[in-house]
Amino acid sequence: MRITIFGNHRRLVSTAALGTLLCIAAAAPVRAGMADAVKAQTLPNGLHVLVLENHKAPLATFNVFYRVGSRNEQFGKTGLSHLCEHLMFKGTKKLGPEEFSQIIQQHGGEDNAFTEEDFTDYFETINKDHLDVPITLEADRMANFEPKDFDKEKHVVLEERRLRTDDNPEDALDEMVRAQAFVAHPYHWPVIGWFHDVDGLTLADAMAYHKIYYSPQNALIVAVGDFNGDQVLKEISEAFGGIKNGAKPPAVTEVEPAQEGTRHVEMQHAANLPAFEEGYHVPNLASADSFPLEIASEILSDGQSSRLYKKLVVEKQMVVDIGAGYDMTTFDPNLFVVSAQMRPGVTAAATEAEVEKEIAAMRDTPVGEEELQKAKNLEQAQFVFGQDSVMREAEMLGVYQMLGDYHLVDKYIDGIDKVTAADVQRVMKTYLVASNMTEGVLVPTGVLPHGGEGISSGELR
Amino acid sequence: MRGAVNRMKMLAGGAAMAAFVFAATPSHALDITKMTLSNGATLLVSEQHQLPMVTVMVEFDAGTRRDPKGKEGLAELTARCLSQGTKELTAPEFDQKVDFMGSEVGVATERDYSTAGMTTLTKYQDDTLKLLAGILTEPGLRDADIERKRAEQVAEIKAAEEQPGYTADVEFVKDLFGDSPYGHPGAGYSDSVAKISDDDVRGFYHDHYKLGGAIIAVAGDVKADEVKVSLEKELAGLTGTVAPQAEPPPIAVPPGLHVKLIDRDVAQANIIMGSGGVARSNPDFYRLKVMNYILGGGGFSSRLVKIVRSEHGLAYSVDSGFEPGKFQGAFTIGLQTKNQSSNQAIDLILQQIREIQEKPVSDAELDGAKKYLVGSFPLNIERQSAIASFMIQVEFYGLGLDYADQYPKLIGSVTKDEVLAVAKKYLHPDAMIVVAVANQSDAKIKTAQMEKAADGASAQ
Repeated sequence: MRITIFGNHRRLVSTAALGTLLCIAAAAPVRAGMADAVKAQTLPNGLHVLVLENHKAPLATFNVFYRVGSRNEQFGKTGLSHLCEHLMFKGTKKLGPEEFSQIIQQHGGEDNAFTEEDFTDYFETINKDHLDVPITLEADRMANFEPKDFDKEKHVVLEERRLRTDDNPEDALDEMVRAQAFVAHPYHWPVIGWFHDVDGLTLADAMAYHKIYYSPQNALIVAVGDFNGDQVLKEISEAFGGIKNGAKPPAVTEVEPAQEGTRHVEMQHAANLPAFEEGYHVPNLASADSFPLEIASEILSDGQSSRLYKKLVVEKQMVVDIGAGYDMTTFDPNLFVVSAQMRPGVTAAATEAEVEKEIAAMRDTPVGEEELQKAKNLEQAQFVFGQDSVMREAEMLGVYQMLGDYHLVDKYIDGIDKVTAADVQRVMKTYLVASNMTEGVLVPTGVLPHGGEGISSGELR
Repeated sequence: MRGAVNRMKMLAGGAAMAAFVFAATPSHALDITKMTLSNGATLLVSEQHQLPMVTVMVEFDAGTRRDPKGKEGLAELTARCLSQGTKELTAPEFDQKVDFMGSEVGVATERDYSTAGMTTLTKYQDDTLKLLAGILTEPGLRDADIERKRAEQVAEIKAAEEQPGYTADVEFVKDLFGDSPYGHPGAGYSDSVAKISDDDVRGFYHDHYKLGGAIIAVAGDVKADEVKVSLEKELAGLTGTVAPQAEPPPIAVPPGLHVKLIDRDVAQANIIMGSGGVARSNPDFYRLKVMNYILGGGGFSSRLVKIVRSEHGLAYSVDSGFEPGKFQGAFTIGLQTKNQSSNQAIDLILQQIREIQEKPVSDAELDGAKKYLVGSFPLNIERQSAIASFMIQVEFYGLGLDYADQYPKLIGSVTKDEVLAVAKKYLHPDAMIVVAVANQSDAKIKTAQMEKAADGASAQ
């Protein structure tokens, strides 16, 4: 789950067909051998810096990652990481509210930020000649955080929660499934935080949080673009080298106990169609099972020839959409998710039974060689397509470095290539079993149909 | 992968976003080679050799503005059916071939045109192009596939209607554009799609998927002359042209703020308000671009965000925009705010519209808008898909192959007086359509009738 500081602009429905269903981007891994081209440096204050030259287009991207997300929060103070992200735009000892973004825009650049469970990423994409601008500004808000208008911004965040979650059936369901799947681990609560928690956060909470987590030793800088890497390393070192550390952030020590039996959650929500989401506990990159799990998700739902699409969308025609998702790069073990939205008149139970047949088939029988090769080919192609954006390259380098080593990027395709049919069958048998599943069902209470009752017209004042 | 979805849909989504690209501006020229195929199609090629991949987009005069009255959604359904295999290959056979190469092939609609597209590794470009050409020249269009895609589209519309913002948009578009070609959602309505017959789909394909006068854009690891030979071989059979469509009459919103209130159990009011905008060919386009950036298009640099979001904490997202097309588009302002803040937010927005009509913008605002609009161009043509859609727009709207060089001058020459003049001419705070999907008993949006009723009650 990723929450951004600033939403995308709307488009009218007459121009974009069904945007809500069609626009989701997946982060593919990046170019082969790219890690060798990276220049890495650790400043004396512990700040890690990675720079990579990419001369494809005359621009550059500058990212500051902080190893802080909802995973670092406590019960009663959920949403603090995301609120802190918002406050990073509300001024410093030198700058007023939103001046950061305004200065970037005045240089023809764009900036944004997002918070996830594991980390927060601030980034600017800008003409290569103006890279000094984000470098200076990011150093300023790391060292001189002094947000204004705290209460106003908290209300903005509450509006964001209403928009993203409360009035969005699928997001609301996802929140409930995760809260049920994780009992002890902080992945239990949503990145944006529970409404009442966010409402109760104070400026003092945010200042203390920033002091602990927004220090050089807890940050990582990644710059990719059309520049001279040595020169950029030098500029970064000059801007950030003098920033001091506070105390070391506390480690996240919670471990989710093993799940023993299926868990169910039901949610009633204003919606037209039933939906379900199934989450299975799975390991991350630290386990050899991660690559087979990635291949399993490809076989289940990548492309129209994938098993779930073919069975549920084409053959049985039960769902509007179905997908399986796995992210091996989470800091702690997370969920392998299968979710779908039903066609009118189809129940979640009937659909889940069909999905279970498909999953059982992969537990019982090894996948064929051609199907395995197709999944690997899809991964390879997406690996190349993913390099078409400097932003995506920077993000992947950052994520792997936070997991321990950016060189892991180069081992991705190797890891995928080595997966065998027996590996896929093993992970299906180990993880995609009922006793390890949390199942959430959305029961639609209906929304008023277009042109129906509940519409009134008049003149505004 | 984070956020697993079907890849075909991602491709469709990518193409659907295309209309945004020309919102930004070039700061350096893009090398484009322009040629003509024997069937009359214009071919634009931008060689990009940094990565072993190729993107092809083919534009057809088959956008949603071509939907017949009562069969709204036909263009979209036709696009979806086209990717269901060829005369030779069934849909599953076709999908298997595409996926085995890791390629992406699909057809997507926009308001003004549809685009058939592919992205592939260079080593599979010939095989992927054959598949793309197959669905365009000899599509399967089998009854069973059309039946399935029709039911799917109806279900997707019902799913979309769960989003308050989608419902608000649909009602706004209907009220503003009325019977004109832009007056319906691109996907159609659930009842209009249900009425589309198999032969409607085959007829729409037959009438609108013609390459004479169409545009083909290629960005990627290719040689321009070689790709021309392949396209000639694969697509030359698609001949003929599409009859032009009559331009609709200008949009006229009568004086007054015409409110449509849709009652729903939601935490937030979803409000959209606006009036008629401009066609892409309107020479005021660049002045409006600058004015709108200052009013509500420029994110944290815009007045609406500063006032409604930053100063009052009323919304996460608030913005304004023109959506110019082949025909006159809309001007809209949209926001979401908790039900109870609806009246306050509407007041603040009306105040900002009046303000930019009454007083010239500041030098700093004008300068900032120009610097952003000109400087941010390369950001928007980084990826191959963005370069391809940019080329299609340049050609479709007749902007000229040197558009990248011209844009800084067109934006740079806009003056404060011109910004004031276009604000006066194109913004109508006293004549707008307002749609609000909200919990109406909490929102209590004040309409003239209600005020009159309230006045009447207090007078008695």
